[in-house]
Amino acid sequence: MKRLVLLLAAFLITESSYGANLFAGQSKAEAMCSQCHGLKKSSADAPFPRLFDRDFTYLQTALQQYRDKTRKSDIMNAVAGSLTDEDIDNIAAYYDNIHPSK
Amino acid sequence: MKITTKILSTAAFTVLSLGVNASDDSHHLHQLYQENCASCHGADHGGYLAPALNADTLKGRSPTALRSIIMTGSFDTLMPPFYGKLSDDDIRGLVKHLQSTPKQPNPAWTLEDMKKSVQVYVQDESTLPSKPTYDIDSMDNIIGVAARGKYGRGTGSKAVFINSTTHKTIGEVPTGTAAHIIEFNPANPRWAYVKTDTAEIFKIDLYSMKALRSIKTGMNGPGIGVSRDGKYIMAGSFVPHNAVILNADTLEPLKTFELEGVDPDGKMVSSDSGMIIGTPFADIFAIALENAGQVWVVDLKDGFPVTKITDVGRHLHDAFLTHGGQKLMIASYDDSIVAAIDLKERKIIKTLPAGCVPHVGGGSAVKVDGRTLGFGTNFGDCDKMVVSVWDLDKMELVKQIPVSGGTESPAAHANAPYVAVDIISKDKRARTIQLIDKKSLDVAKTLDVGGHAYFPEYSADGKFLYVSAGYNGDEVAVYNSSTFEKVASIGMESPAGIFSRGRVKYMTRGLAPDEMKGAK
Repeated sequence: MKRLVLLLAAFLITESSYGANLFAGQSKAEAMCSQCHGLKKSSADAPFPRLFDRDFTYLQTALQQYRDKTRKSDIMNAVAGSLTDEDIDNIAAYYDNIHPSK
Repeated sequence: MKITTKILSTAAFTVLSLGVNASDDSHHLHQLYQENCASCHGADHGGYLAPALNADTLKGRSPTALRSIIMTGSFDTLMPPFYGKLSDDDIRGLVKHLQSTPKQPNPAWTLEDMKKSVQVYVQDESTLPSKPTYDIDSMDNIIGVAARGKYGRGTGSKAVFINSTTHKTIGEVPTGTAAHIIEFNPANPRWAYVKTDTAEIFKIDLYSMKALRSIKTGMNGPGIGVSRDGKYIMAGSFVPHNAVILNADTLEPLKTFELEGVDPDGKMVSSDSGMIIGTPFADIFAIALENAGQVWVVDLKDGFPVTKITDVGRHLHDAFLTHGGQKLMIASYDDSIVAAIDLKERKIIKTLPAGCVPHVGGGSAVKVDGRTLGFGTNFGDCDKMVVSVWDLDKMELVKQIPVSGGTESPAAHANAPYVAVDIISKDKRARTIQLIDKKSLDVAKTLDVGGHAYFPEYSADGKFLYVSAGYNGDEVAVYNSSTFEKVASIGMESPAGIFSRGRVKYMTRGLAPDEMKGAK
């Protein structure tokens, strides 16, 4: 039973990240995030945190909080303000999937 | 009474400190501009890669809009976001500073200034290793990438060298400001030269991957060439309007040239330096005077005498060589032509149609069915979005191939089936490279690279195509040049120009090395 639950949970997690559209996520990320955060490499001189190689749920939660203004940042509240749940899932899934080789 | 004195002295103090603050402020803002903006927008506020920012050009622009561009950057350009990097007060101050500062006069940068700017990083070059400190079959397999860095300067600005058979980075040389052009010494495979956006030239030892020396040749301008014997470098600037010949070994400046002349409309003008090229054909440099519409041929002998070829075209820019380096094909933006110049006779042979704003990049030439075809890209987002193909023996137009947008750099290789051109039109098309079939002269494939893909370059063996996913893209993508399967990704900040050392062997990209034999 415990195994089944774990399996089911694993299935659900995979579903939630891979149900998202990576291509849509990439195009949103390029248009809305990459200017500051980059796609596959972050700038050594930039004050912005990297987004690639981060956990899907972490990114999803952060974006939802910025959008809903439960987490405050003038610039992030403005950028995330227009994102739909679907956009957020797509972007989070895209960055979750980027694992630079270096 | 006492109170009055106190008030008075406080007032005096306040006035005094305000005065000090104001001049401190303007000094501080000038400094901020020079450190953050000048390498792209021009130390003289006159523009370079990016628009001019001065009282004139920004007249009537909303300070709020300007502040927000500085904060967030500008999408699909090289303008990075300065939010979090500069304080809000600094950004507001900069906007005021820009809107009240006129374009500065063209500063002088003399032979003496250049001499004083030489820096030596490795005093005794005999201490350098005598062979590469990494595994490589041939030095021609080295590909150099000009990484701009997100902010056009800083730790991300460097020349990155890659082994194009393994796609592994073999060396990185920091350049302070954005690396722009990489040239290789044709006579000795160990030396390379990198020119930055701020016109420093670094001499690089490719065996140890170290910068040995540098010199500041001007304020900006991409022009640099190396002579066929590897003994001289010529570099030219946009600011100020001059060019210089350097000893390629020591970087010591030998002679400067004031760039001015009568343009095709009969006006005497001071001119930016366009392309500078050394040729396997002779001991000469050719340099384009952009605004004067002239090409000067400089003989590499006593006194460096100059032969001036006038009335070549309006707003000259870049060029490539054919016929063993005897003929120079040079693009004129405003006349929409490419002019063919015979470097032996030192005269114009022919002008050829080249689309609306011809920008040939490094140019490309390929041999197909007995004909030598030249390929010319075309900057403009205009009705004529074409790549021009010329028969270089007959010097006539063969075809103008419709492509999906403006293009700025063609790549070809004798062993690769396609000529690659980068689509630079500022929308989704900028993600793509189009591939022209050498035989049918039609676009056969469109490659979706991502980012703002530009500067395609083949590896020396022709097996791989390297492309910069520049601007906010942050990788160089490598493709198999027949199947276009992506085989590698090399991460770096805002990669731009890609330069194969193979270039010195085939003169113009796409020609076989034996084309050069006739030249020597």
